[in-house]
Amino acid sequence: MKLMHLLQMTDSTFPVGTFSFSNGLETASHIGIVHDADSLEQYTRSVARQGAFSDGVAALIAFRAAKNGDLKAVEEIDRGLMLFKMNDEARMMLQRMGKKLAELAVKLFPDDTLIAAWLDDIRSESTPGSYPVAQGLSFAASGLGEEELFASHQYGVINMVLSAALRCVRVSHYDTQLILQRLCAESQDLFDQAREMTFDDMNSFVPEMDIFASMHEKGNMRMFMN
Amino acid sequence: MAFPNTYEYTDVEIVNFDKAREMKPYLRTPRAMYVGAPGKHGYLKLGFELDADGRSILRDLDRRAPLIVQQELYFDEELPGMPCVYILSSGGPNVDGDRYRQIITLKKDSMAFVSTGAATKLAKMQDNYSGLLQSIELDEGAYLEYLPEPVIPCADTRFISDTCLRVHPTATVFYSEIYMGGRKYYGDGELFAFDILSVCSHGERPDGRQLFREKFIIDPKASHIRDIGVMHGFDIFANVLVMTPEANIAPIYDAVEPFYDRQQQLAAGITHLPNGSGLLFKVLGMETGPVKRVVREFCSKVRMQVKGRPLPPEFPWR
Repeated sequence: MKLMHLLQMTDSTFPVGTFSFSNGLETASHIGIVHDADSLEQYTRSVARQGAFSDGVAALIAFRAAKNGDLKAVEEIDRGLMLFKMNDEARMMLQRMGKKLAELAVKLFPDDTLIAAWLDDIRSESTPGSYPVAQGLSFAASGLGEEELFASHQYGVINMVLSAALRCVRVSHYDTQLILQRLCAESQDLFDQAREMTFDDMNSFVPEMDIFASMHEKGNMRMFMN
Repeated sequence: MAFPNTYEYTDVEIVNFDKAREMKPYLRTPRAMYVGAPGKHGYLKLGFELDADGRSILRDLDRRAPLIVQQELYFDEELPGMPCVYILSSGGPNVDGDRYRQIITLKKDSMAFVSTGAATKLAKMQDNYSGLLQSIELDEGAYLEYLPEPVIPCADTRFISDTCLRVHPTATVFYSEIYMGGRKYYGDGELFAFDILSVCSHGERPDGRQLFREKFIIDPKASHIRDIGVMHGFDIFANVLVMTPEANIAPIYDAVEPFYDRQQQLAAGITHLPNGSGLLFKVLGMETGPVKRVVREFCSKVRMQVKGRPLPPEFPWR
């Protein structure tokens, strides 16, 4: 019943999923750039691709480190990932979600000493405690594999944007489900690339999205936490 | 592959990005001049410092073809004490298998302005790639404005760079790069027809403490470059890193208003680098003129905060 573990950790009722992370979608929609199903699909694809080659790679690296019981390597990627986060809100969000998941994971996997040690280090602020690393550790503890971890990560990212879109873009549930289906189909290719990547290869190129996020960070109209 | 590990004719450090994952498809030995051939492995070392009278000067200058820097000039009317230097390349565009090494150092309290004499053209490549390894090091209280002309990637070109910004907490560096999508008006237009641009910049303190790392890979043939969120309808992208003492960050951030102007097709955004190390500013546009103007306006705000002076108007011929 491994599949049920995967469903549990990917479900939007999983506690950490209560945060919404709209990546500047609100701004893109407010100024009319994202306004229908096609433009939403493009935007979501950009988010998914960026997520795959940064947070997705970090989650996979953390997963492997956890499998080796290597806390030092876990914290290295934890700190390394934070160097990439170019936005105060993104950093805050990533850490808040990460800590929450770590707190849950020590309850779900009480025998896992690595997660407990990592949570201690988050509390003493010697490691940032980022969400993708928490995901990697939880999946390693649950006995699930790299592909499941990546799938869950990408699903979370895509679903987060699409759920937010239902509240601020003129699209229907049919539209968002179709987009979800297509972007899920594209995830295999992203996984094939991400699994080969190391810390040095992590990259992100979404300048327009960065500008939306910046406008959102400075703006005063906001429905969701960015 | 028979890349030489040492070059007999020179003592400079070899630049090699062959291990980078994204360059793996581009490692054939060039059929023309080999990698590292004289004139294809540029080297430049610029060392600025204060002289006995407290004036900033270019104390060290070491170079290998095709990179050229002549004497420093003092042409900035707002900061007449600031040495200004243009980096030139006698080789024309970057061609297949070119390697470049640039080192810029600023000693305590010195300042400098560094630019390029013309746009950096990246020529079409068939076998290999061109690479640039840069180290920029600023001591206490130093101030550097690095504002090169745009990079123009031609069809099928490949370029990779790695820039290390090692900056004292009391120093300020303004590091900008402008990338065009290509030769926009060549033939029917040659936009995003290149193979790959891989650009990595990372900041650290003199003690080696890592502050931030930014890497972008633009591979328009393999990804959705025109998607919303990426380049969308824009043709030019500027990236600016500002590392400055913590007290300067909030005033500069507050002085900059992000915008997205659909009429003028120009947009810009600003955000904070990790570890309180500075700011990151991005611009998207359609033509180099307006993008350069936005970058210079931002630089002016940084200079105003740090040096109490604005940037002078750009020369009419630039």
